Amino acid sequence: MISFLLIILASFFFMGVVVRTKSIASGRRGPGIFQPMKDILRLLKKGSVYSKTTSLIFKIAPVAYLSSVLMAILMVPHGNNPGFISFDGDFVMFAYVLAFGKFMIIISALDTGSSFEGMGASREALYSMLVEPAFFILMGSFALYTGHTSFFTIFSTLHYGSYISYMLGALATFVFVLIAMIENSRMPVDDPKTHLELTMIHEVMVLDNSGFDLGLIQYTSYLKFAMYGAIISNFFIGVLPFWISIPMFLVVQFGFAIAVGVIESFMARFRMGHNPQFIFILTSVSMLIFFGALLVLGKFM
Amino acid sequence: MIIVAFLTGVLLICGSLIFNRNKFINYLLVALFGTMLLGFGAYQYNNINTIQLSFFKPDSLGILLLLALCFISIPILFHSYRYIEKFNPDETPRSRGLFFAAMVLLISACGVAYLSNHIAVTWIFVELTTLSASVLIYHHRNIRALEGVWKYVFICAISITFIYVGILFLSLSLKQAGIDDMSFDSIRANYDKLNLFWLKLSFLFIFTGFTAKLGLVPMFTAGVDAKDKAPAPAGALLASILMNLGFVGIYRVYAIMTHTPLHTWANTVIIIAALLSVFVSAVYMTRIRNIKRMFAYSGIEHMGLVMLGLAAGGVGVYAAILHIILHTLVKPALFLQYNQIYWVYQSKSIYDVGNYFKYNKTGAIVILLAFISATAMPPSGLFVSEFLIFQSLFQSHYILILVTVLILLTLIIWGFGSNVFKLLFSPSPKTMDKSAIPEISPWESFSQYVLLAAAVYMAYNPPQRFVELIQDAVKLIQ
Amino acid sequence: MIDILLIALAMTLLYMSIANRLHTYLRILVFQGFILFGATYLTLTNVNTVNLLLIMLETIVFKSIAVPWFMSYIIKRNKISRAAEPYLPYFVSLLIVTIIIVLAIILSSSIKDANLDKTYFVVALSTMFTGLYLIVSRKKIITHVIGYLVIENGVFVLSLAVGNEMPMLVNLGIMLDIFASVLILGIFFNKIGDVIKNPDVDLLNNLRD
Repeated sequence: MISFLLIILASFFFMGVVVRTKSIASGRRGPGIFQPMKDILRLLKKGSVYSKTTSLIFKIAPVAYLSSVLMAILMVPHGNNPGFISFDGDFVMFAYVLAFGKFMIIISALDTGSSFEGMGASREALYSMLVEPAFFILMGSFALYTGHTSFFTIFSTLHYGSYISYMLGALATFVFVLIAMIENSRMPVDDPKTHLELTMIHEVMVLDNSGFDLGLIQYTSYLKFAMYGAIISNFFIGVLPFWISIPMFLVVQFGFAIAVGVIESFMARFRMGHNPQFIFILTSVSMLIFFGALLVLGKFM
Repeated sequence: MIIVAFLTGVLLICGSLIFNRNKFINYLLVALFGTMLLGFGAYQYNNINTIQLSFFKPDSLGILLLLALCFISIPILFHSYRYIEKFNPDETPRSRGLFFAAMVLLISACGVAYLSNHIAVTWIFVELTTLSASVLIYHHRNIRALEGVWKYVFICAISITFIYVGILFLSLSLKQAGIDDMSFDSIRANYDKLNLFWLKLSFLFIFTGFTAKLGLVPMFTAGVDAKDKAPAPAGALLASILMNLGFVGIYRVYAIMTHTPLHTWANTVIIIAALLSVFVSAVYMTRIRNIKRMFAYSGIEHMGLVMLGLAAGGVGVYAAILHIILHTLVKPALFLQYNQIYWVYQSKSIYDVGNYFKYNKTGAIVILLAFISATAMPPSGLFVSEFLIFQSLFQSHYILILVTVLILLTLIIWGFGSNVFKLLFSPSPKTMDKSAIPEISPWESFSQYVLLAAAVYMAYNPPQRFVELIQDAVKLIQ
Repeated sequence: MIDILLIALAMTLLYMSIANRLHTYLRILVFQGFILFGATYLTLTNVNTVNLLLIMLETIVFKSIAVPWFMSYIIKRNKISRAAEPYLPYFVSLLIVTIIIVLAIILSSSIKDANLDKTYFVVALSTMFTGLYLIVSRKKIITHVIGYLVIENGVFVLSLAVGNEMPMLVNLGIMLDIFASVLILGIFFNKIGDVIKNPDVDLLNNLRD
């Protein structure tokens, strides 16, 4: 329960911190921290316009997307507390629930009959496909390392002994940050600010959504960020008591948001053809993490 | 001690050859080197099986190859003098000095490497031969020579790395037994304690590395390009003593393998490589148009046969060593005669030659006799050794391989023969300017007659000491 | 700690497979030199100090400073274009290098010998085969030389694995490095640059039957 509440809380200020960081890095003062939430509230009050070529899918996709992410959040633990849903192998369900949400958005983009949205949908599908092995190998390495297969049991029994486990933790954090950037369609894979339709990936998928639906979709992406931040913070929290773990959680989310802002300010988006390489590198690096986990366990000797 | 003295002398001669521009002093230095080499060979022959400088031991195989090297170095040095003097009178003194220095270094590095008792020392000298051979290949300094030397250096560098990895694996296999000394003697004394897995890997890598020098699949391409681009006397050296160096390296490591349970596996590896080499040589011989490359591929075929004899065992090992020594005598004859062919026709291609009998009778007879030798027809010396190799293949029940090799050899004889007969008997091409052909003195071919006759003599009436030395070398494998 | 360095070396291989420009290759080589420097210090504890200093000096001076500087000099002097031209797209290269590393892991886990530290073996094997792959899959001659240097780094790692018992072998490996670098780079590449402009492997096809 507490992790669910914490993630929702973090999602309120996450995007604001990112936008603020980007503004400060460009030399401006920037909007307030809660400005993105105010934008969403404004959108939620508006009505939606539905095109005649769309069908039921287009209407239910945003809600399905939001509910899939909410269900995924239910599985994320916080320190010593498991999520609402916690069973052996739940990180597999986590990945596929998120994939279900993404699938709904992709087919709703195809539903509009616009070729631009179809193009964005196909790229989005490709990148998600390429990043999926990275996530699984990473979680698999940690499962191997700790001997358990549920999010909660993995993170609660994770402890850092030798040098190499620290390195694994650092590498895993790095890979996770990049996975989060890719799954949320941010730089350096996708530029959320690009106006050119040929270079859009995620933005183009939601071109035709408006009003309430658009608000839902935007809030879902903030939630996803906060969710990944929560998983990353779990690498560090371990089994510390509440009065340490909650501030640490907030600090990690804050740090994650600032890191996202910094990456977005200082990196240009990669050439479209280079994106698959970049994404697949995460898989290769996570394979090296797997190898490192084998080494630490002594299963390799 | 004498090895140190020999090597210092060689280095001094090389240095003075490079820095000295006077032609007469260059020739004097080369003649001095020739005498030093003969003295070195005689000394080692008298001190057989003594350990010198803790890394060198002139065992019988080393002595045999060293004496063969001494024997052919004299005509080759003489012909390189003729090459510079008559056939290329517009050499700059610097390139002449470099040419002779590289030849001296190549000969001495090969000679000393035959005697080494430690694989790492052989490896160091193989590196030195790569260095000196590349200087020789680049002698003409045009773009085709550059291409040849680049390919040679690159493939040899990779092969040297492979040999080094093989040495590392060999040390790993010794590590388990706790042996520190990696010389061949100490490995031979500790057969049963070697770790077989690492020994397998090390043999594979060392074998692959040495095929660049020996001229087998997979790294033979370096040698073919080298012999094509290098001046003919240098090509003669590359085709004889450098291949022997590859043979020595593989032979010593194979001698370790024969006493372990991996003997049959090593035989399989060698047979595969050797059979593929004969196959490759047959394929290229039938469509080759460049005379020098034809000689190079013939060398590859002979090395494939030698390795088949080695792997077949029994009398095959004796035949392999005999074949290598006879090949060392015959192949330079071909290369040395090539200078005169080029002098007459000014071209390497088979399309531009013909009617050699008219222009150079003695040379043409040399080519005819050398062709008979290189394709191992009686009465050449190589006939004896090839026959023994076939006999050993038959005795070891490798019938299918024997049949395949015989068919491939027929193809090779056809390819080689059609080219050589075109050179000798067919009418000369009409585009040739017949008035500009120079006179070639018959004495230029004298050394080649001596070499061919020596090959015949060594095969049919070998001195007793020679046979004993070969049998001694065979004992390394038994 | 040594495992971390070796895994970092494996990661540089992955980066090398998708590198676009020649200067990236050189920077990766410099980084590999530093990694090997640290690895030498941590591994060779049984070797006497003078020898160890010599080896470490060689790794730093040769692999990290001299050779990359010389190669950038060659690139500038011969005006070689900055992109590495592969025969296969970069994504396929990345896949192949990943597969190479996985195969190396599988191969070395099937060795039952307890004498060898497996990490060295995996990293050395994957580095050598990646270097070989770089030679085969790139068009320019200078990337062939870079691939050869990567192979040498892999061989150096392998020699570290046995270096404690036989330091002479590590010295031999260094000799190989120096010899090959001097011979290949120093003497001939200069000459190739003088004669052939913008060297591609296709230009080396004149020498054939």
